[in-house]
Amino acid sequence: MVIDLPLDIQDELRAFDARGDRISHYELLGIGADADGGAIRRAYLERSKRFHPDSWYRKELGDLGAVLSRTFQRMAAAYQILSDDETRAEYDRDHAAAFSEGDRTAAGLRAQARKEEERRQHERRERLLRSKGFARVGAARKLYEEALEHVANGQRAVAIQVLRTARELDPGRKEIAAKLTEVERESVKARAASALHLGKEREASGNFSQALASYAAAIQLEAPGSDAPAGAARCALALGDFAGAGGWAARGLERFPGENRLRVLAARAFIGLKQTAKARTELLLVLQNEPHHAEAKALFKPL
Amino acid sequence: MIPNRSGYRLTPSVVAVAKNGKRLVGALARRQAVTNAERTVVAVKRLMGRAFSSRALQDTLPRLPYTVIAGDRDDARIQLGDQSFSPPEISAMVLTELRLDAEAHLGEKISKAVVTVPAYFNDAQRTATKDAGRIAGLDIIRIINEPTAASLAYGFGRDFPERKIAVFDLGGGTFDFTVLHLFKGAFEVIATGGDTLLGGEDFDARIVDWLAGPFLERHGIDLRKDKMSLQRLRDAAEKAKCDLSSSTTSEVNLPFIASAQGAGPLHLQASLTRAQLEGMTQDLVDRTLKVCEQVLGEAKVHPGQLADVLLVGGQTRMPSVQKAVKSVFARDPTKSINPDEAVALGAAIQGEMLLGDDGKNEMLLLDVTPHSLGIAIAGGFFQRIIPKNTVVPTSAHHLFTTVKDNQPSAKIIVGQGENELAAQNELLGEFMMEGLRAAPRGGVDIDVVFDISADGIVSVSAIDVQTGLRQSITVTSSAGLTEEEIKAAAAANEDWMLGQKEDPKFEGNKAAVEKLIKEFEEFWPRLAEAAAKGMGPQILQGAQAALSVARLQIEQRDHEGLSGSAERLERMLEALRATVARGRGKGS
Repeated sequence: MVIDLPLDIQDELRAFDARGDRISHYELLGIGADADGGAIRRAYLERSKRFHPDSWYRKELGDLGAVLSRTFQRMAAAYQILSDDETRAEYDRDHAAAFSEGDRTAAGLRAQARKEEERRQHERRERLLRSKGFARVGAARKLYEEALEHVANGQRAVAIQVLRTARELDPGRKEIAAKLTEVERESVKARAASALHLGKEREASGNFSQALASYAAAIQLEAPGSDAPAGAARCALALGDFAGAGGWAARGLERFPGENRLRVLAARAFIGLKQTAKARTELLLVLQNEPHHAEAKALFKPL
Repeated sequence: MIPNRSGYRLTPSVVAVAKNGKRLVGALARRQAVTNAERTVVAVKRLMGRAFSSRALQDTLPRLPYTVIAGDRDDARIQLGDQSFSPPEISAMVLTELRLDAEAHLGEKISKAVVTVPAYFNDAQRTATKDAGRIAGLDIIRIINEPTAASLAYGFGRDFPERKIAVFDLGGGTFDFTVLHLFKGAFEVIATGGDTLLGGEDFDARIVDWLAGPFLERHGIDLRKDKMSLQRLRDAAEKAKCDLSSSTTSEVNLPFIASAQGAGPLHLQASLTRAQLEGMTQDLVDRTLKVCEQVLGEAKVHPGQLADVLLVGGQTRMPSVQKAVKSVFARDPTKSINPDEAVALGAAIQGEMLLGDDGKNEMLLLDVTPHSLGIAIAGGFFQRIIPKNTVVPTSAHHLFTTVKDNQPSAKIIVGQGENELAAQNELLGEFMMEGLRAAPRGGVDIDVVFDISADGIVSVSAIDVQTGLRQSITVTSSAGLTEEEIKAAAAANEDWMLGQKEDPKFEGNKAAVEKLIKEFEEFWPRLAEAAAKGMGPQILQGAQAALSVARLQIEQRDHEGLSGSAERLERMLEALRATVARGRGKGS
């Protein structure tokens, strides 16, 4: 069959696909790990023009059709992670081992630069806080504008720092406090989603103790849904830490009392701790909600 | 932009069934709305893809002059005389009309279309739109979002450096706000948001209430209860609103609007000022600004970074809307696009981008899904699977495991929305996986794949992980049309279109005359030569006049005149040919 796609694109697609998950987000977008936000976005848009399915609409693509849409979606996902300061830092930290030497160095430099920027902001804050009267209000106003720029550039961590200083300088200004709350909330949300994702990745690869740490972080950050406590309890059970598992399940049940999955995990923890009565109570509650819950029934029988 | 057969570039989305059973669409339907309010459908966009019992639809109902009833599956049906229609069927009537307009203008069959929808439309509304296209006999190759389409019209053929823009789209029934990033022909939507129940019609409704309220107090008659007077009120309200965009006061004059027992006819007269109108609609404008703020936050863009703000939709002509936009963005909105036509132009550009010349992928649209997609999980919670503002097309996986021995089936409830509780979000459907393999619990893993197409339409498929076999999935709950219903409606529409075909005698005459005109045109150089050589310009003038008459008759579908023209032109051509041949013979 004739594939109606330029040969260089065919080759690139097959090369990307052959490497599967071993290709880093940076390589996928054709940039180095030192690229800034603007360069990442431009690279993604340039690549999209080559690899978006619409660019080859109603062309004969054969088996490459599926590869093309898969490749574009991977690029979009890579772009999404790399265009946010925090998720990018996390990605760098967790995947640096697989980077090329150059990219590893660049990621290291970026982490360093981030620390340096934080230190600089800290010094500036100290200096600004010593200013008096109207100068304080003016400085707060300037910092607020600056923070908006940082947010727009995906640098939430810096924005938070700057906004905190601005708030101290001019506590009466409502927009500063409101923006700070908003950015902080967003930051927590992004970190929670990222931690949950990482927990699942680690659990799937059998790395239970690290997975547990990620799930715990996700719970701390109030990730939505009951996936994080359930994951934590599962990992604790896998590690033989029954008391820990019971604790995670109980934490989850506080927020999601109707979640049978958590109750079954709690029952398993109690069985491990030889607290049969408590296990029975939990299982009875599950069976009340869902009389045919097979796992609960199986656990309940020997008790 | 192609004008319709009445010569206008805009066709209102109004459909009516006249008392004689004839279907009227567009300006014709709007003109007769007052005398035929109960059989005139306006604002059908608000009913598209809505379940009858849904809050959105129930809130809209009291304001509609026509009757909407519940169908068998909690779908909405519009009652027109003794017939009832689904919203996509009504929408298809408008699409069919536009298709016939385009075919008349271009002289060729139209089979494909790009259709625009409000960006904030959900899956059900988009699916209903696609169904409308199929009923109208059109292959809808893409559904694009209206604000995005406007941005294509803005960016098309212009060369500018990388920039961010925002589109503020306040149309008749819906509001959308979208932030985009433009770079070398790539149009990337960063974030989008809106309100599908906020538009120009809500502004009109405020004026209607302002007019009807005092009338009710004084005369004890609620004009909004009578379909005909409600339609007159609405027309007057819309007119006053438009007037107040250019002047500061507007007079409303509705004589004989009602009659009171014993007191004879009653008239309604009022004077509305721009300030009054702005006062009574301030909260609506504020609602739009709230959406803008939220979307800017999601896009992580602050107003100072925007290179331009585009205004789209007729309601953005209102001075207070423009003032509000100006205050939020600290700049004048751009005047480089036409708020009524930019969206249609954008759709045409997208069509060209998809189907145009090979290898010229200079422009690309990267749009996003406006709502998070997720499933209902235990405890009634909503688990997000694809977050809002994710670029489309996209897909995501979710692993399901059987919880019972030999479990035969499993159900997934799919919804769209941002609420933590599944019940608070829009239900897309209940998907049933049936005929699962017999295996102990936990023995069957099913990988469920959620796809969102470039049209923003969701599809769900499932694969048995252990066997690699595709698992069948059926939708068990959805208010959308079934495949059979769409086919039946498309067939009915096809019949109607065949019925619309002019009678064959006229078509025959038209073809004959068109052939003669062509022969005349081919013969023209020799005729002109003969005229120059001494036969005089009169023969040219006579022929020219006869030809213009014939062309006019075709355009006006003048049946009898055309058959006369056919004969006249034929005689004339014969005579002229003979004369020219004689003249030539003489000359040589």
